Amino acid sequence: MSPRGEVLTVTSLTKRFGKVSAVLDLSFAVQPGRVTGFLGPNGSGKTTTLRCLLGLVQPTSGTAQVGGHDYRELPHPAAVVGATLEASGFHPGRTARGHLRVITDAAALPQARADEVLELVGLTEAAGRKVGGFSLGMRQRLALAAALVGDPGVLILDEPANGLDPEGIAWLRSFLRARAEEGRTVLVSSHVLSEVQQTVDDVIIISKGRLVQAGSLEELTGAGLTQVRVRTPQLEVLRAALLAEAGSGGVHVEVVSPVELMVSGLEAAEIGHLALRQQVELHELTPVGTDLEALFLELTADGNPGGAA
Amino acid sequence: MSMVRSEFRKVTTTKVLLWLTIATIAFSALNVVLLVFLTPRAMDIDSDLNLLLDPAYVTNILGAAGSSSIFILILGIIGMTSEYRHMTITSTFLVTPKRPRVLIAKGITYALLGAALGLIAFITSFAVTLIALMTEDHAPVDAIIALQILGGVVLAFAIYAFVGVSVGALIRNQVAAIVGALVWVLIVEALLTVFVDWIGKWLPGGALNAVLQTTNVTGRGGADILPTATGVVVLLGYAVIFGILASLTTLRRDIT
Ligand SMILES: Nc1ncnc2c1ncn2[C@@H]1O[C@H](COP(=O)(O)OP(=O)(O)OP(=O)(O)O)[C@@H](O)[C@H]1O
Ligand SMILES: [Mg+2]
Repeated sequence: MSPRGEVLTVTSLTKRFGKVSAVLDLSFAVQPGRVTGFLGPNGSGKTTTLRCLLGLVQPTSGTAQVGGHDYRELPHPAAVVGATLEASGFHPGRTARGHLRVITDAAALPQARADEVLELVGLTEAAGRKVGGFSLGMRQRLALAAALVGDPGVLILDEPANGLDPEGIAWLRSFLRARAEEGRTVLVSSHVLSEVQQTVDDVIIISKGRLVQAGSLEELTGAGLTQVRVRTPQLEVLRAALLAEAGSGGVHVEVVSPVELMVSGLEAAEIGHLALRQQVELHELTPVGTDLEALFLELTADGNPGGAA
Repeated sequence: MSMVRSEFRKVTTTKVLLWLTIATIAFSALNVVLLVFLTPRAMDIDSDLNLLLDPAYVTNILGAAGSSSIFILILGIIGMTSEYRHMTITSTFLVTPKRPRVLIAKGITYALLGAALGLIAFITSFAVTLIALMTEDHAPVDAIIALQILGGVVLAFAIYAFVGVSVGALIRNQVAAIVGALVWVLIVEALLTVFVDWIGKWLPGGALNAVLQTTNVTGRGGADILPTATGVVVLLGYAVIFGILASLTTLRRDIT
């Protein structure tokens, strides 16, 4: 039996560092059995939020809890939560195996776990090498191995794909997916939406320490930002018709060139129908899918925080 | 218990302990050699004054073991501060989020290491003393006093390593903590002892000397020292008070 996932709850969390508000009145919940992406631009407060969840940073106000408990109150934290954090370090003179055994000892886990998790992350060959000589990707794998020693039901990973090669990223994806399917809680941060869009079920997007959007990925991509590329010699006529349609809301038209438009908020069929009604000649009508990057940029743009939920 | 094992593994999987053990051995040996060969007679300053015929002097040469105490303090300081330096403190606090427990586990671990190094220092000074005296006329070594010195060094180093851990918890920056400790021990405390004569014996170095029972031996004397038992309590008091202060302040800080 794999361990039970726990719900992570962040409630009205605020953290100030001097004058900087790293996190501001942030609330969200992360459910077990799903992979949740925690997204936001650089400096938006992701790492700070995760550190609050892990008892490393004391919130200025509000709470961040694991299964309804403060991390510091967990009797056996390594068996409940496994975490990797960007600034967590290794002693350069210690071997990979040594680093993990320090943890298995402290967590009262069998020593053999060290080699098991090294195998799992593909570091068996480097087990006896000093971490000082490790590449970024190898450190990332070792950090992941450390998170896994207690076979925890909750995984909290801060930018785990950083430094991984494509093979490593693909492996990580299927690994996290499998963990979620076992009923564990998986929270993965990233500053690139496209990086996690193939991996996650749910997304939490923050900007400047505030919540921008929380929900399933479908909800997000269904938010009317499916794009359609339209080529037509009668661009102005079609544009006017589309904008008239936009009066009903949610439609966005962008002029790419004198003969090309990018339309979001309308299905290709609807645009085709509109063109037919206006007797506009079409040379191309191609759904190009959701531009998640554009969506992400729009959601997290200046002045937007808190707006689009 | 598992946490103490983890601390032992931390220190045995890096090189610091090895280097400081070598330093302890070398410094103890060096001090014995100086005490044997830099006597007035050996240096032809006063050929009638043969200190090596004085049983008290000969026995107290063994007290040179205590001269490496500074390395023990540094060992404790590094034991704590290297966690912040290499940011391994993150994984340490993830496994043990109740932070004072980490401090206690380190205190116990380094006290045991300090005791072991005290034993090593004593064995070194004992062996080097016997070898150095082989070619000299000398008074016999008093076994009872030798055992007292052994007990003193082991106990003093055990507590002093714990003091180092607490200092390291209070001053998280490794360089600042080591430099600060050296400046304190070698300059501030020495000056305070000279200018305010009653205070010296109550300071950490003074209490250390009381436990080592060596002030009169190595000739650093002048200032009187506390009874050994009082010295133990005072030195332990510093370790505990620094540790509690750290638990209330620096140990609580955010790890970012
Ligand atoms: N220890 C600290 N002292 C002062 N300011 C801090 C500290 N830690 C974080 N901050 C500030 O808090 C804000 C949020 O930082 P955080 O590291 O949480 O962002 P992030 O979303 O993880 O960014 P990135 O994508 O770059 O990792 C930033 O403005 C940062 O400068
Ligand atoms: Mg970050």
